[in-house]
Amino acid sequence: MIRIENVYKSFDNLEVLKNINLTVEKGEVVCIIGPSGSGKSTLLRSLNHLERITSGRVYINDELVDERNGNGDAHKFSPKRVSEICSELGMVFQRFNLFPHMTVMENVMLASRKVKKLSKDEAAENALELLEKVGLTDKKDQYPAKLSGGQQQRVAIARALAMKPQIMLFDEPTSALDPELVYEVLDVMKSLADEGMTMLVVTHEMGFAKEVADRVVFMDNGEIVEINSPENIFSNPSHERTREFLSRIL
Amino acid sequence: MDDRMVRVVGILIDSFFPLLKAGLMFTVPLTIISFSLGMIVAFTAAIIRVLNIRILDKIVKFYVWIIRGTPLLVQLFIIFYGLPSIGITLNALVTAIIGFTLSVGAYGSETIRAAILSVPKGQWEAAHALGFSKLQTLQYVILPQAIKVAIPPMANSFISLVKDTSLAAAVTFSELFNVAQQITARTYEPLWLYMEAAFIYLMFCSVLSVLQSRLEIRFRKSGD
Repeated sequence: MIRIENVYKSFDNLEVLKNINLTVEKGEVVCIIGPSGSGKSTLLRSLNHLERITSGRVYINDELVDERNGNGDAHKFSPKRVSEICSELGMVFQRFNLFPHMTVMENVMLASRKVKKLSKDEAAENALELLEKVGLTDKKDQYPAKLSGGQQQRVAIARALAMKPQIMLFDEPTSALDPELVYEVLDVMKSLADEGMTMLVVTHEMGFAKEVADRVVFMDNGEIVEINSPENIFSNPSHERTREFLSRIL
Repeated sequence: MDDRMVRVVGILIDSFFPLLKAGLMFTVPLTIISFSLGMIVAFTAAIIRVLNIRILDKIVKFYVWIIRGTPLLVQLFIIFYGLPSIGITLNALVTAIIGFTLSVGAYGSETIRAAILSVPKGQWEAAHALGFSKLQTLQYVILPQAIKVAIPPMANSFISLVKDTSLAAAVTFSELFNVAQQITARTYEPLWLYMEAAFIYLMFCSVLSVLQSRLEIRFRKSGD
């Protein structure tokens, strides 16, 4: 479903992604772990044009979503195509990034109204369904500032799901949360995984990775060091750097 | 009360309504029209700057540079007294509207640009990830938040503009101050008449200050 081939990315002279190759199959949950600054978030953001790669190729459903050959010009995508690419990918951010001037309901409805051009009734019905799924129907008329971090993140998940994406990207979704609020977001993510959603999750929650992931990717210093099953990566990592990282955080 | 005082009080009373009328009929409409047009210019210019639209971006920078770097009075003189020599003759009202619109547009564009840039980057990213185009992002996500930030400085420049319209007197536009000058020329009481004119400006601006704080409270209530 996602195919990343020989991807490099540098900011000025700093290489943040080096020779990344990764394939994610439909229905798979892949967790990316690794120290801060290892390029995990950049990799995720390269899938929906929040970052453009320096070289390599990225495909979603066998359709090209980004390409660049070395020093050549970046492949040009029309704004319409970029919007289509983004609609296939739902993204959840570390800092939620809810729209503070809109109610919860409006947050969830906005994109389906303005990007998908659904009628108000359809969008509202869709939004209510999603708010029920994340357990926040009673908060629908509140503004984000009135919600706890965990509730805000659940709204953000509902907002991303409103576009009916085929793949969900999570960029450290629980890192900005108080510890006691982490579980409510992870629960929602688990139920999504159970429904067969394809998910790519950058996380520091090793418990979640162990329990939910089909495969775990360990990244360090801009490279994929190891891709392995959760059992292997946590109990018997094949690489010294993985072992070191895990021994430091577990 | 001596004769002098009686005379001054008489002049002040006689001139109060002509001054107030000039204020309401010319100063206020000139302010409102110039400010509204200026806001359109300001938003357009700010959006061009923020989206970094090629060429247009350079033109906007040049425009802001010229307007901010030259005195408004000089600009009005160039338009009113200068342009006729190349065949463009504009009446006093049109001159004033053009001058004030360009001024509000230039200063306002910087205020609005700063307000747009004050909205966290995450808001742009979230909208992008949902499939919004840049313009849609501005329209639905960024501007509603930026406007809240821009209101206090914009209200300030609106109040400033009320007073700046007195410069139009210099290009013969008969707004409040120009009328005060005319009456002074007849009565030779500059101190009292200009004080009276100042008082009427003060009244207008006081009303606007009250409106400003109400507007701010209303905007603070909606949302966070």
